[in-house]
Amino acid sequence: MTPMKRLILTLLAACLLTCPAFAQEGFPLKGSWLGTWTGNKVHGNDVLLVLSWDGKAISGDINPGTDNIKIKNASLNPEGWVVHIEADAKDKQGQALTYTIDGKIENLPLANRIVSGTWKDSRGNTGPFRIGRQ
Amino acid sequence: MVRGSWLAVALAIASVPLVAHHEPLAKFDDKKPVRIRGVVTLVDWRNPHAHVFVNVAGTERVTNWAVELESPIELEGSGWARTNLQPGDKVAVEGLAARDGSRQIWAKSVIDAAGRLLFVVNRTPPPMPLAPQPAPRWPDGQPRLGAVAGGAQGYWAFPSATALVENGVTAPMDEWGLLKNIADAPKVAPMQPWALQLYKERQQRFLRDDPMYLNCKPPGGPRQFQLVYGVQFVEDRVRQRIFVLVGSGNNNYRIIYTDGRSHQGQVGGDDENPLFYGRAVGKWDGNALTVDTRGFNEDFWFTNGGLPHSDQLKLIEKLSRPNLDTLKYDLTVDDPGAYTRPWSASWTLRWVAGKEMPRHLCQENRS
Repeated sequence: MTPMKRLILTLLAACLLTCPAFAQEGFPLKGSWLGTWTGNKVHGNDVLLVLSWDGKAISGDINPGTDNIKIKNASLNPEGWVVHIEADAKDKQGQALTYTIDGKIENLPLANRIVSGTWKDSRGNTGPFRIGRQ
Repeated sequence: MVRGSWLAVALAIASVPLVAHHEPLAKFDDKKPVRIRGVVTLVDWRNPHAHVFVNVAGTERVTNWAVELESPIELEGSGWARTNLQPGDKVAVEGLAARDGSRQIWAKSVIDAAGRLLFVVNRTPPPMPLAPQPAPRWPDGQPRLGAVAGGAQGYWAFPSATALVENGVTAPMDEWGLLKNIADAPKVAPMQPWALQLYKERQQRFLRDDPMYLNCKPPGGPRQFQLVYGVQFVEDRVRQRIFVLVGSGNNNYRIIYTDGRSHQGQVGGDDENPLFYGRAVGKWDGNALTVDTRGFNEDFWFTNGGLPHSDQLKLIEKLSRPNLDTLKYDLTVDDPGAYTRPWSASWTLRWVAGKEMPRHLCQENRS
């Protein structure tokens, strides 16, 4: 992770930690999510997702402001609250890289709910994925 | 011994969560009936729920139980007072046991030593007059939603429906919006799959996650017209707005602007900020006030029972007063973020003449 990215994520985390968590009783994935995709050597361990819902589709970004990875495809299956996210990124050399995240929403009723699962990329790297809603 | 008894009382009080006036089944199990007999040690007459603490003699020791009653507002409205029981009185209590196994009971009946049934709450609306009187009107002929001319007190309560259900649908619920049969969930409203699943899970958790009860969040949307303590209109014709005050909750109010403004917020204020009550603009059309509200946030439940909504929620409410004692409320819910199509619900409220609206302030119980 670059020093600038580390600084931005640290400041963002500090800001989010000092802000009250809003309940967000609507679409369960909507909002800002902060956490880790452990073992990601290209984009670092820390990850931020900002997700939206327009009534038909989930959209959003991974690490907006730093990596700017646009989410290509995302779904939420209410049966078990199963989350699936796909996003096309580029590494530092500009080579294409596709991320796939599969997880599940935990403690759904809580404002600071969690998505926990795994991430993998198109090069075969994989690891645990865990984000909490801010 | 005395010190130990009061310690037990103190511990019992401390163990009672200060949750606002809530669905009883969120805390108590209707499959676990319980009966106790004992001696009253304390009557704690406080909103959101009064409690009577009772010492029950066991084979080895005395245990202290917290018996939960309705709110003092409702109890006093039904003619009861904190003095109906005194420490030292003998009582027999039947009710429901707490889900968490603590020594708490939701009272279904409290009987004193004389055999009197105490603390029964009467929720029957006042009888309708045989010949309904006409709705009061302003000098220009527009119906008054609030108090009648001359300053007579009154407010609206006793909603004919206490949870949102699409018109024409039969889905029995309790007064808090808890379905009698969870299989009816898909019938309640045309929910998207995520919203239906979320609604079902809220129901299956007995509505215990309701942010109005947990965190004193305002009852935005139509919920303000389905609450037990009623609602009141203050019509400010000079400033061309109507204040809607709710008799319970977070001591807040909704403003319906009638000055012809658009839905834009106040610059530097709520212009970019979705609201619990949304931005409401109203327009009189004959005898009905049509209110168009949008700009809601997603931090609250907009109905008893926990139907989800999104920030795309738009409400069209039509309020009319066909006679002095009746407020008719017709609602269209348009929320493409949570529902598959617009849908409608209607109910009425009754005018409670000659009384001030009870004010149960949620904050009082949170500090």
